[in-house]
Amino acid sequence: MSSGFKRTRRGVALRLEAVEAAVVENLVAQLKQMLGELPKGDPGLAELGISESTEAPRDAALARLFPDGYREDGEAAGEFRRYTEATLRDGKERDAAVVLASLGSADIVLDAEQAQSWLRSLNDLRLALGTRLEISDDGYERFEDLDWDDPEYAMFVTYDWLTQMQDSLVACLWPE
Amino acid sequence: MRPDLPWLTIVWNDPINLMSYVTYVFQAVFGFGKGKAEKLMMDVHEKGRAVVASGAREEMERHVEVLHSYGLWATVKRDD
Repeated sequence: MSSGFKRTRRGVALRLEAVEAAVVENLVAQLKQMLGELPKGDPGLAELGISESTEAPRDAALARLFPDGYREDGEAAGEFRRYTEATLRDGKERDAAVVLASLGSADIVLDAEQAQSWLRSLNDLRLALGTRLEISDDGYERFEDLDWDDPEYAMFVTYDWLTQMQDSLVACLWPE
Repeated sequence: MRPDLPWLTIVWNDPINLMSYVTYVFQAVFGFGKGKAEKLMMDVHEKGRAVVASGAREEMERHVEVLHSYGLWATVKRDD
């Protein structure tokens, strides 16, 4: 199993087994599909980064990826969303594309910018999976009691693996 | 509402974002030293939220936009 990200002279490096790369690829593909479910709105306005959505997505995971910018002020939250949601989605799609492009190699080496894309995209995956798993501050005990063939258990193992991968990336990027 | 009161960028606790990650994002986005970033992260974790910046409304909205790109749960609020 991959030992996570390491700092090397060439940049931040990650070695993934083929099956692990396939897992990441599959998750990122699902993420891209989720991002595609956001309302696109008027194409002319979209070019200016303005979308027509003023309400948080109904899907809980999507809502977590695109949170309100204001609490207790629906009108301000709607305006904020109208002007930021499309840009936020484009950024997530770009990050996801960077991750997919680097999966072609067994030895992944990232420059500083690519590392930021991996960092954000891994976090998007963790937020989406974690929301589906209803991760809470109560800890992980609930998952330890699940049967190994329970689909939720597999999802949790993946979530936990992404967590370790992200933590190792943060350790590499930590400012001196 | 008093017009002289500043706007705030608030980060809320959530059970998914890693403590190390949140500390890193505070350093990367705001240029905070590790000590300040860790203190704010602990405030978020223990008190449920922390004010990470204050100033003009547009500036706070830009901060929240960047924090959202990193997946942090951030909002803008008028100081009261």
